[in-house]
Amino acid sequence: MKLILNEINIRETQFSEKTRIDNGILFINKEELKNILREDRRLRDVDIELARPGEKIRILQVVDAVEPRVKLDESNSYFPGLLSKVETAGQGVTIVLKGVAVILSEYIEEPEFPRDPNGEIIDMSGPGAELSIYGKTQNIVLLPYPANGVTRDEYKISAKIATLKTAVYLAQKAKNQKPDKIETYELELTPSKDMNHLPKIAYVFSILSTQHGIIPKDPILYGENITKIVPTILHPNEILDGALVSQYRAWGMETYLIQNHPIIKELYQRHGKELLFSGVILTVIFENDKENERSALMISNLAKLILGVKGLVLTKSGGGAPELIIAKIAKRCEEVGIKTAIAISHIPADIKDFEFGGITLFNFEEVDAIVSMGTPWEKITLPSMERVIGKSFNLSCEPPIGGEIHRMVRWIRGAQDQIGYTKLVVSQY
Amino acid sequence: MEERPLMVIHYLNQFFGGIGGEDKASIKPQIKEGPVGPGKAIEQIFGGRGKVVATVISGDNYFVENQQKAIEEIINLIIPFKPQALLAGPAFHAGRYGIACGAICQAVQKQLNIPAVTGMYKENPGVDLYRRDVYIIESEESIRGMLDTLSKMVKLLLKLSEKQKPGKPSEDGYFPRGLLLNDFSDKTAAQRVVSMLLAKIKGEPFQSEVPRPRYDHVDRAPGIKDLSQAIIALVTDGGLVPKGNPDSIEAERATRFGAYNIKGMDYLKSDDFEVTHGGYTPVYILQDPNRLVPVDVMRQLEKEGKIKKLHEKFYSTAGCASIVENVRKMGQTIAKELKAEGVSGVILTST
Repeated sequence: MKLILNEINIRETQFSEKTRIDNGILFINKEELKNILREDRRLRDVDIELARPGEKIRILQVVDAVEPRVKLDESNSYFPGLLSKVETAGQGVTIVLKGVAVILSEYIEEPEFPRDPNGEIIDMSGPGAELSIYGKTQNIVLLPYPANGVTRDEYKISAKIATLKTAVYLAQKAKNQKPDKIETYELELTPSKDMNHLPKIAYVFSILSTQHGIIPKDPILYGENITKIVPTILHPNEILDGALVSQYRAWGMETYLIQNHPIIKELYQRHGKELLFSGVILTVIFENDKENERSALMISNLAKLILGVKGLVLTKSGGGAPELIIAKIAKRCEEVGIKTAIAISHIPADIKDFEFGGITLFNFEEVDAIVSMGTPWEKITLPSMERVIGKSFNLSCEPPIGGEIHRMVRWIRGAQDQIGYTKLVVSQY
Repeated sequence: MEERPLMVIHYLNQFFGGIGGEDKASIKPQIKEGPVGPGKAIEQIFGGRGKVVATVISGDNYFVENQQKAIEEIINLIIPFKPQALLAGPAFHAGRYGIACGAICQAVQKQLNIPAVTGMYKENPGVDLYRRDVYIIESEESIRGMLDTLSKMVKLLLKLSEKQKPGKPSEDGYFPRGLLLNDFSDKTAAQRVVSMLLAKIKGEPFQSEVPRPRYDHVDRAPGIKDLSQAIIALVTDGGLVPKGNPDSIEAERATRFGAYNIKGMDYLKSDDFEVTHGGYTPVYILQDPNRLVPVDVMRQLEKEGKIKKLHEKFYSTAGCASIVENVRKMGQTIAKELKAEGVSGVILTST
């Protein structure tokens, strides 16, 4: 299976009477796009704003970011099963607009559980922009509003779909553009003789956590929900080419990052040289012991009996409890002779007690190869902005969100992630 | 870069200040212009970048017996010198001196907003008391380490006064302060985790970026011989609180707990409660709070005589990304209160 990504670099975005790409500039007909998105009657209206790197703009309630892409085939679409027919993702040619992100800023009146009233934010200039992936992309911000009588879950799904539709709509205009860069992704099923000595490695990808409740119809894998899925195996190209989108409002795992999955790309880079990339085991983090134990068992079986790997890289989804669950999965795999390495960010970050303290929730001897992806609790000072896009659900919050604020890294979208993009490492001071 | 030398106050005890030994440990704070004793070495180490404009000396006993007053007096003595920074000690293994050094550094940081550094041996009680708030250079036990300790103190003080980020504790020589901060690696986590895995597979040495935690060991209390004579209390970390969250218990990293009256209640009514906890979806608990704090079942057991009594209060906090020290303190406080009220057993519920 061979995937070819034709990348077109976009250096600027503007509203215009015709949506097109010209000389690296993406022009967007706002009304045309709005009309397409308003076809979904679950939405009353959709505001569309542009936020470019360097502008003094702060975007609130950021739920997801998506990279504009489209297949160069007769479907003229993307995200199979979701927006187009169910077809295998990961083969043929895909057009990618590089340097652009469609940002979903959700409309929210009341949170489901206590959390920051402004949600995850993006700054387009200053230290917040330097820290975040999306402070450097040309952002097309969607602000969808629910129609009367629509439930919260229905709104979320329609907002998500609007974001994905926008991503396809924009990429479609690049079909006749000459690519600035071509990336090819191809893995041989049976490695050549001279690669036989290389260790087989697979990646355990937790795509979803159920700890904060689930949206029953949230489309995630080939357009369908997967909250009851048992661990399964995917070809890495499927993940790089739209088979998966993120769980609604997943922390540190925007669709944009999944499309550019850092660990998958890294394993691809080293394939045939230092390792044999043997596949991706997709799993879900449950909120109950039984299903998590079953997952751990099945993952170790898939890894050992089906894929026959020597080592696994693992990442989690969600917050603190999933950290323990992914460690238990790793422990299970170590027990059958598979070496594991985990990359995690530190939800339980507590070393104030010098004698007893820890920055992980687990303590297993075998689970000893751990890469840090930074602590989410560190605060940075963000300067005041000229414009705020999106609405806080606590309008009387002090200090005002558009002014100078001290914000935890955890509440800056794109400053940290759960799948290996970040360069943040935690250190004890 | 500052051309003018940094104006530094040096704090010393009666011994290093050249006034006397134990017999002079009760002297009140006094100030002398310029460096005294080890302060002269400090100026040499500064080499022009800093100047000890004055030395404040206090008796160790006077300080620890009158801490508040002594701090006030010392601050008042040093203000006229317009200090930009302070160095204290080093105190090595001298306990009262270490406490004084830590306290004075903490005070000038807070009240005068200037950087301060001190130095102590690791077993000095001042270390545990002040390391979180004050940069304490680790010194040897004996004063033979004076010059080495002083130069580390000066180096760190210069960094702080230039508003540079200090290096890691092992780099700059100070006791870790219990802070967890982010650094930047030159490689992505993806690169690092694949490299680490390959090293592990090959049996090569690798350095995990995250150490394993160390746990406190708590001995179990002896079992209750006769449950029918016992008062049992319910304690939860699921964040169940009366509507309005009257004790403002935080949903993450909580520092507070509450005790809520359930006298005469056969069960908890869902209308009366809400959940403050950022780590799980509270839908099922809001439908029926007894799922988390099982007053209904306990009341039944009480009626059947299986337990003597359900304690008339339940305790609650949010166990979401909690700081160990905070929850330990809460646990100790709750245990004390429960014991005083004759409770002999606790059922802890979590989510």
